[in-house]
Amino acid sequence: MTFVGFAARNALRNKFRTALTVLGVAIAVVTFLLLRTAVASWTQAADFAARDRLVTRHKVTFIMSLPLRYVDAVRSEAPRLGIKGVTWASWFGGKDPAHDGEFFATMAVDAPTYFEEVPELVVAKDVLAAFKEDRSGAIVGDALAAKLGWKVGQRVTLESGIFPPEDPEKPWTFTVRGVYTATARNVDRSTFFFHWAYLNDGVAPVRKDQVGWLMSRVTDPARTADVGLAVDRLFDDKEIQTLSQDERAFNQSFLAGFSAVLGALDLVSVVILAIMMLVLGNTIAMGVRERTSEIATMRAIGFLPKHIALSVIGEACVLGAIGGGFGLAIAYPFIERGLGRFLEENMGAFFPYFRIPTPMAFAAFGLAIALAVLASILPARSAARMRVTEGLRRVA
Amino acid sequence: MTTNVDRTAEVLIRIRGVTKDYARGGEVVKVLEALDLDVNRGSFEALMGPSGSGKTTLLNLIAGLDSPTSGTIEIDGQRIDRMGEGALAKWRSNHVGFIFQSYNLMPVLTAVENVELPLLLTPVRASERRKRAETALRVVGLADRMSHYPRQLSGGQEQRVAIARAIVIDPVLLVADEPTGDLDRQSADDVLTLLDRLCKEMGKTILMVTHDPAAADRASLTHHLDKGRFRA
Repeated sequence: MTFVGFAARNALRNKFRTALTVLGVAIAVVTFLLLRTAVASWTQAADFAARDRLVTRHKVTFIMSLPLRYVDAVRSEAPRLGIKGVTWASWFGGKDPAHDGEFFATMAVDAPTYFEEVPELVVAKDVLAAFKEDRSGAIVGDALAAKLGWKVGQRVTLESGIFPPEDPEKPWTFTVRGVYTATARNVDRSTFFFHWAYLNDGVAPVRKDQVGWLMSRVTDPARTADVGLAVDRLFDDKEIQTLSQDERAFNQSFLAGFSAVLGALDLVSVVILAIMMLVLGNTIAMGVRERTSEIATMRAIGFLPKHIALSVIGEACVLGAIGGGFGLAIAYPFIERGLGRFLEENMGAFFPYFRIPTPMAFAAFGLAIALAVLASILPARSAARMRVTEGLRRVA
Repeated sequence: MTTNVDRTAEVLIRIRGVTKDYARGGEVVKVLEALDLDVNRGSFEALMGPSGSGKTTLLNLIAGLDSPTSGTIEIDGQRIDRMGEGALAKWRSNHVGFIFQSYNLMPVLTAVENVELPLLLTPVRASERRKRAETALRVVGLADRMSHYPRQLSGGQEQRVAIARAIVIDPVLLVADEPTGDLDRQSADDVLTLLDRLCKEMGKTILMVTHDPAAADRASLTHHLDKGRFRA
């Protein structure tokens, strides 16, 4: 027998209460991981952004568009600026009336260049060629095609609140020319890409030749910030100024719109941890109260207050470790095989890769133990300070 | 005081002028008043008296569980009344074996593990600890109950495990607070016989608090306490 083994057995002595506590901790761990995974997944696009890509948008807000001529302006200065390729895109904000409840990203892109500058989107050569040749062609993510049952060659009509068709009799109709997959797991596989030129054809004259943002690939990723400043200087004296950011910063500016939601998720995570600590603290305090006579006996036969305190803290560690481990055992299949897959397939635009980050799993397990230790400090202190004679008297 | 003891024997416990006061609701309650007591090494002595007479308080002082308000307590040549909490705990773990009325075994440990418990405080190796615990259980006649949990034992057996736990450290002094209080007559006799054996065969000094005259009769000397003083 060892002191650690003794502490472990004490932790497990009331099986029903231990089971409930472990379940409580496990649920807290699962909830915590769920929330943190949601935040991580949401911010993943920013975290895994390409280091060599620069996004240039309207200086005021990314909702406002830029003139198409800015593309030519950047291209003409590209060698001097250290840029090896430029493309552009516009947020279309489309949805399929046949699948009204499904949200997916729709983007009008420069068909000849976009997929070259965004190599993480993998499109077969023949598919890309077919797409480029068809002005109303579209390339969709494999996950989106699977979800909505779209096949190659299928005609799809989308509606857009941002770009209503100039002629209401001519809705935005596209032909699916193929699907793209992704080289990185953080890439949304539910986006709908089509020709910017087709969009430009169909909008009112006042909205023609406008692009949402420019994307430039720089030759030296270490100089992306400097290149961005140089690009912005090109338009300093123009009517519309630009703001160039590396892709990560650009993606983060999108996330800023959801900062309240992310903040709320952070807060709820903390609340979950606090509840977990209270559950553990209560269980440990009850266990200590019930064992007054045993603790007094241990003190009588020579155990020091520090031994008693360590024993109580040790019990808490055991509870926290079992609860944390159990929580991970539940969280992995639940999040990775169940909810995560569902979210990736159905809300890929928000959660392209909904999997538990490994450091987060370690953190959750560590927090379960650390908070158990924290929760046990008061009961451990009171047990260690117990007067032996009083503890023994309560027995007799 | 009933006397039946060899006055020439070596004194193990020497108490002089011990007083114990408690503050209770702003009042000072004198539990023990100027007690003197000598207990010889290897004797089996009993403390009797009505409830509230101070028996357990005196036993706690002798066992180093509490400190006197005044006076001196010397056990085996060591002044324990001057020791701090840590030193007292260490002293107890080396010198005193405890036997309680309610046995106070750890329900999550088997009989042999309960007996092993005090040895966790020593540098003895695990295998040696187990060997000593098994020996102690054989001494109390429970060789066949080593793997039993307290809930699987009778009251008499539990108390014998507690006695094994008390002797496993080979203490100079065994203190027993109503060791037969929760037992039937037969079990109580068995426990008292065991204590008597430990005293006579192993030379243990035993000080026992009891209400039971039959238990006190097994002791070589009985001290009667009343209102914090020894009754003549």
